[in-house]
Amino acid sequence: MKRLMTIIISITMFSLIGCGGAAESPGVTENEILIGNVQDLSGPMKELGKILPAGSNLYFDYINDNGGVHGRKIRMLVEDAQYNPQKTVVAVKKLIEKEQVFCLYNVIGTSPVEAVRPLLAESEIPLIAPATQSGTMSDMSRPAAEYIFPTDTGYDIQASILIDYAKEIDENAVIGVIYQDDDYGENVLKGVEESEAEMGITVQKESFQRGATDFAGQVMNMMKGGCTHVIIAGIVKEPIIIMKTAEAMGYAPQFMGISPTMDHRVSLAAGTAGEGFISANFAPLWNSDDNVPKLYRELCEKADVPEAMMGMYHYYGFSTAIVLVEGLRRAGKKPTRKKLIRGMETFNNWDGAGIQPLTYNRNDHGGAEAVTLIQIKDGIQLPITDWIK
Amino acid sequence: MNQLVINNVTMRFSGVVALSEVSLNVNQGEIFSLIGPNGSGKSTLFNCINGFNRPQEGSISYNDTDLVKSAPHNIIEAGISRTFQNIQNVPFMTVLDNVLLGAHNRIDTQFTLKRWFLPGNREKEEAMALKVMDFLGIVNYESKFMSGQPYGIQKLVEVARALISQPRLILMDEPAAGMNEQETFEIARIIREIREKLSITVLVVEHDMNLVMSISDRIGVLESGEIITIGKPEDVKNHPEVLKAYLGEGFDA
Amino acid sequence: MIKGRYDDENLKWIPLLIGLVLLIPFALKGMTFSYKYYIYILNTIGIYIILTVGLDLLSGYAGLISLGHAAFMAIGAYTSAILVDQAGLPFMFSLILSPLIAGCFGFIIGFPALRVSGMYLGLTTMGFGFIIRRLIIALREWTQGSAGLVVSPPNIFGFTIKGDWANYFLVWTLAVLVIIGARRIVKSKIGRAFMAIRDSEQAAEASGINLAKYKMFSFFISGSLAGLSGVLMAHTNHFISTDHFDSMLSIYFIIMVLVGGAGTVYGAVLGTLFIVLLDNLFVPELETLLHTMFSIESGEMESFIFGLVMFLFIIFQPTGLYGMWLKMRIYWKLFPFNPKQRFT
Repeated sequence: MKRLMTIIISITMFSLIGCGGAAESPGVTENEILIGNVQDLSGPMKELGKILPAGSNLYFDYINDNGGVHGRKIRMLVEDAQYNPQKTVVAVKKLIEKEQVFCLYNVIGTSPVEAVRPLLAESEIPLIAPATQSGTMSDMSRPAAEYIFPTDTGYDIQASILIDYAKEIDENAVIGVIYQDDDYGENVLKGVEESEAEMGITVQKESFQRGATDFAGQVMNMMKGGCTHVIIAGIVKEPIIIMKTAEAMGYAPQFMGISPTMDHRVSLAAGTAGEGFISANFAPLWNSDDNVPKLYRELCEKADVPEAMMGMYHYYGFSTAIVLVEGLRRAGKKPTRKKLIRGMETFNNWDGAGIQPLTYNRNDHGGAEAVTLIQIKDGIQLPITDWIK
Repeated sequence: MNQLVINNVTMRFSGVVALSEVSLNVNQGEIFSLIGPNGSGKSTLFNCINGFNRPQEGSISYNDTDLVKSAPHNIIEAGISRTFQNIQNVPFMTVLDNVLLGAHNRIDTQFTLKRWFLPGNREKEEAMALKVMDFLGIVNYESKFMSGQPYGIQKLVEVARALISQPRLILMDEPAAGMNEQETFEIARIIREIREKLSITVLVVEHDMNLVMSISDRIGVLESGEIITIGKPEDVKNHPEVLKAYLGEGFDA
Repeated sequence: MIKGRYDDENLKWIPLLIGLVLLIPFALKGMTFSYKYYIYILNTIGIYIILTVGLDLLSGYAGLISLGHAAFMAIGAYTSAILVDQAGLPFMFSLILSPLIAGCFGFIIGFPALRVSGMYLGLTTMGFGFIIRRLIIALREWTQGSAGLVVSPPNIFGFTIKGDWANYFLVWTLAVLVIIGARRIVKSKIGRAFMAIRDSEQAAEASGINLAKYKMFSFFISGSLAGLSGVLMAHTNHFISTDHFDSMLSIYFIIMVLVGGAGTVYGAVLGTLFIVLLDNLFVPELETLLHTMFSIESGEMESFIFGLVMFLFIIFQPTGLYGMWLKMRIYWKLFPFNPKQRFT
């Protein structure tokens, strides 16, 4: 008992001494900036949990090798939250309170990010580039919106753009949407409903549960409904299975996908069934000749990144890292969380990250509103439009 | 009247006739024993009285309460409680709590609510159980867990649980099964005391003939679901059909 | 004469429990400046304890397994969020009403429990969890579907409770009350009836226990407590969605009860403490250790360690942490006259 007391007292003493030396702005020291990332390392999206931070670290390493940001190197902590909102809250709490990170970055998932909003407001900590494209991220009326800087075009806007495009290429298009029945699908549906109201059309809607692998019923209903254009609000596996199912049924509408479906693995795995698949995209293709993709491929080669990892998701991690670094640059030599927010809010149609141009200001954290469309032709993804809104 | 009246009870389990037209009366204050070979329907008759089984035909009533139509948990309200042949208890509860389980219908909700806020009431509950346990001589075991107690004690806890509800009729299903001679003797004493000191009618199923003969006022003999005879111990002892049933064909009295 | 003969010695722990609950946050504040994180973890533990104690009454005491308890939590959480934020009821009122509504759902799920038991009941309750998820998505007018719902902080008589520090006292006041209440229940005729239903339905019925009534009651009370924990979860986290209450969470709760020791209130408390701390403090440390020692990519570590703990507990310590403690206590009481087999 006595020993226990001694231990407790000494720990208390040490921690009190430690308190005195704490930095003014958490997570920033002479030569390091600590940032926090929450990914899904062991849950339903664990593939992304490896790929996204790997892409980010590729760029952070490049920056650190070249002297860092204002002389400080960037170190990223990745926590696992299994794509679960409750676990994300715990992880973010840990990053903020225990690890004392400077800012949050790339936290994955819509409802996980929604769940941490109260924490952002409480700690006044910015979240740069949440790894979700839900339109709710840029909704300034939601709590803690002033701390969130989304880099992507919302799913709702994407859905509207796809419907517009379908109507443009075919006036008599009958449009259907197959959506995941979660927050992601919910947001897509919002865009679809807005378009319905605006254009006076009805869109056939079919839902599937997250993680489903059988889509025969949904495809059959689309076929019965006579849909000529089917929008898929899935991730990677779903569009592949849906298109293969449709091919087997002898049903060949124009398939279109929301941006999570733009991965090149879709074209690889879907084969002939995927031919002609159009997907919305937030960036120039990683294998295109723009500046950032070039740098990306160069760095990949230098770092010996395995072939299987390269792709649009890896590139996504890479490009959002560029946004973060730019924000940290603009935060000045003595960064604080407030300065980072002010710095981010000076972005004006900035297109240095190899994604669509970003604009933030105090009243609007919309970020981007445009996508390019890419289509699979002869098994290769090719851009078919410029940025469209 | 004060008696258990079983009238023409027939019980079939998907074609197998377990009881056929069984009729018997148990008078208030007597010790009535049911004997018969294994599978003759003694336990089924108990289950019918107790409400676990519903006979297809016939009626069972106690003090004008129709037992056939009552749910098992209401039988105890009519003043009938029972023990089981294979011991039924809660292993991870103390002996005292196991006994108190039987007092379920004596402890009303208001009392329980009061007890939650006034700790003193716990003692009133305990006193109830301790009185019965004292009567059976198992008071020393009160705070021990049920699991791991000797078989004889577990049997007595069964009896205590049946007694604490203050029944007027107690059904005992093979109280001496698996007991040694001394314990059987003890059981016989207890059964007599239940009748004499507590004036409770006892209906007992038992294989041990010495026990049955020594305690019973009347004995009923069941064989293959039918009553062969009902009578005083000495009459039953010499009844030819009973001898045949127990000792086999060709036995000559 | 009888006084003190059978006094509930476990009740002696309650002053200690209250003392600890009051002391720990201050101790943490003194010890570490990331105390807010630990207090947050403790709040989560408190909320889960309310649920697991309720689950223990149902599954541990009455022997009716439930693999859908997160659904009751969801009902409590969503009901309270809707009642407070959309219907404008005061929080205190919702704190009582929402658990009762969750309890009524428990009452409904109690009906199948009269017919099925064991694994089939587990599957039924699991299905109930899926139905509730669907229901929440379908009622999007109030619940905003799967997009989730923002919830206001609790407001008690004009005081808004905000922040981990204030939440801690709200959560743990209720948690301690639930622990005391649950002990009162299990040490009364209700608890005896629950245990009799679990171990011998025949003895229970012959003792005058209405099986249907008590099974339904155990579901009601367990559902209510889960609802209460849902209310606290909603109002202290300020955001709820269907993903918060997935079926894995229900299984977590059962694991907590089993590891702690089914059929003991303190077991549920210990199990919850153990699992949440294992999950949030020890596994991450272990992961970092393994990472630095063997440079293993340890994404799957958590589920692996969980499986291992469950496995070891069921094989070697079926009575759970609480059973372990009881054995330990006997061991030290008898020391040094302890026969070896006592401690196995």
